[in-house]
Amino acid sequence: MTPRTIYVDNNATTAVAPEVVEAMQPFFKGEYFNPSSMYERARGTNDALEQARRTVARSIGASDPGQILFTSCATESNNTAILGAIRANPGRRHIITSSVEHPSVHEIAKDLERQGFEITYVPVDNQGRIDVRSFIRSLRADTLLVSIMHANNETGVIFPIEQLSRLTKETDPSILFHTDATQSVGKLEIQLDGRFKHVDLLSFSGHKVHAPKGVGALFIRKGARIRPFMLGGHQENGRRGGTENVPYIVGLARACELAADNLEAEVTTVQRLRDRLEKELQVLIPHVQVNGDGAARLPNTLNISIHYIEGEGMLYQLDAHGICASSGSACTSGSLEPSHVLRAMNVPFTAVHGSVRFSFSRYNTEADVDKILEVFPGIVENLRKLSPYWDVKAASPRPDAPKA
Amino acid sequence: MAWQYSEKTKQLFMDAVHGKPGTHLGEIENPDGVGEHGSISCGDAMRFTFRVERHPTDPRLDKITEAKYLTFGCTSAIASSEALCAMIEERGCSPIEALEVTNEDIVDFLEGLPTQKIHCSVMGAEALEAAVFNWAQLRGVPTEELGIAPTMHEEDEGRLVCKCFNITEPYLQRKIKELNLKTIPEVTNAVKAGGACMACHHAPGGLQDMLDEAWGKRDGSAAGDDIPLLGQRPSAPRGEGELSPYQFAKQVEHVMETEVRPMLKRDGGDVEIVDIKDRLIYCQLAGACHGCAGASMTLKLMIEKTLKEQVDDRIRVVAI
Repeated sequence: MTPRTIYVDNNATTAVAPEVVEAMQPFFKGEYFNPSSMYERARGTNDALEQARRTVARSIGASDPGQILFTSCATESNNTAILGAIRANPGRRHIITSSVEHPSVHEIAKDLERQGFEITYVPVDNQGRIDVRSFIRSLRADTLLVSIMHANNETGVIFPIEQLSRLTKETDPSILFHTDATQSVGKLEIQLDGRFKHVDLLSFSGHKVHAPKGVGALFIRKGARIRPFMLGGHQENGRRGGTENVPYIVGLARACELAADNLEAEVTTVQRLRDRLEKELQVLIPHVQVNGDGAARLPNTLNISIHYIEGEGMLYQLDAHGICASSGSACTSGSLEPSHVLRAMNVPFTAVHGSVRFSFSRYNTEADVDKILEVFPGIVENLRKLSPYWDVKAASPRPDAPKA
Repeated sequence: MAWQYSEKTKQLFMDAVHGKPGTHLGEIENPDGVGEHGSISCGDAMRFTFRVERHPTDPRLDKITEAKYLTFGCTSAIASSEALCAMIEERGCSPIEALEVTNEDIVDFLEGLPTQKIHCSVMGAEALEAAVFNWAQLRGVPTEELGIAPTMHEEDEGRLVCKCFNITEPYLQRKIKELNLKTIPEVTNAVKAGGACMACHHAPGGLQDMLDEAWGKRDGSAAGDDIPLLGQRPSAPRGEGELSPYQFAKQVEHVMETEVRPMLKRDGGDVEIVDIKDRLIYCQLAGACHGCAGASMTLKLMIEKTLKEQVDDRIRVVAI
């Protein structure tokens, strides 16, 4: 009786690929050695670790594997990058970030602000695009670090990291440039020796690319001045204390390989599913808006706002049909405020509470989209019948409803 | 954080959205009482209407026979609305007696609400109060007999304490006492005040001051960790050129206008200065040259050369 699970929340986390599970198995069973140990048996474990480092480096277009630091998650990578950069460059006090970062960057910035650092939050326009001119104006002689995400987790809007990092380095090569690429690794091509040659630090995690939760990585360009965040051992060349999580690191490497093999499918198969859902929902449901549809976006993400209803009630009903999605509404955020991303984009107040995010992966099918299209218009209708702002008969907002 | 709702809350929500018989979704035409609470910009809003069976002689003995609602809000806001209507119809009471239904009764009816959702039940109680007030005015019942604050528009009057949710001092003063709110989180959960930017928590005249005023100041509540540490601002480094920044910018602009732009325009291109920082000139190339990497590089070097020769040889041009 329980409906089939339709998982369309891949920007939150992903299913672990069976190939990844298989690659990890030996390191739970026979190969449990500490890669730092001296005996011969540990050599294989250490080799696997270094092989994984080469694979991960190659998958993001970095020739020197020594630039990859393994961490426990993207949040740790972001903390390491930002706090490590600050500790290594005590003479400077200004940091530039965007107004729509993930909390693992946004909250650090707010905390640093309380500690007396000066933070510039570069604004975005109503399509979620970063204002490059504001960005240029924000660069200062005492700027220490720029931390701007590659692709936004809520809307999928892609920022021009190549341009922003180049402008930063042309202004002052000693400013460090960090990007949180958690949402883009595995979905967009990343070339750290090529287009992204001005990026010093790049964070991502395993569980967004079909590896398990609990493993992440940070690319640190050779020569970039940062201090370690986790002290307590010589591991990772003294850049992060703590015994390496070998099985998970091997899993992450396998997931990166699979992602590289499937990169083309992201812009064909996955994008086709997203585009079809996006197009047909706009036909089936009046008064909706696709957030960020005027900007370059990740191929897998659809963030759609339904005017005059609230997101949580939609998610709850989707859940009853086995459909897992998410929302930027206040009621699902754990606070009382709707998404800071949608507010930074000035999404009208009639729509900001009614956003739903569908994010696909290569494991989704046309049948998933069929099911969403079958049930979602009815779910919206159910809530609009209840809304004090909606006229069901006219299928439009009531004349006295507040206008966006 | 998965759903933390009781089975009863989930059931009421699902019954309501599917319009099951016996649910109370809708609006009564020409109601005997109508009340609203909340707004779409704050994330939840409710319109509550009821009908009475009129008592032939004494309007105070009118009996509520039907109650309906329209609600914009989350699962628990809709379930709270449903709960309110169900309880009132069940009691078959007068509007004045209906005022005895409190937000806590709604929470009990729902078999509990997560603490951060308590404001949904408060919204129901507020809309009910407003509707009863409206009924009293229509039926000529003296409003002072209702035992509720006569200024139903206090939400619109008085000093704003929480600017994010438009919550005023008189309203907060009343709610802190009525709902026995002792801490800032309790205030936020009940009426949403302070739930967004949090600037009003420890501001003078803010939530903590109001709580202290209502209940007396508590020991050890020195909010030391909220006071930001002031960092040392760096002194702005300055170029040592002979020109002041103003003179320098004027000269750059002058050379751009008289020499660079005319040259570019002949080939259908254009250039705009976006910013000048010290000796760095940020230029947006437009027209024929925009988007062509080779042409941009040539142009950048040409502009840079011209400016170096005419203004300052430390100049560097950055093409956006």
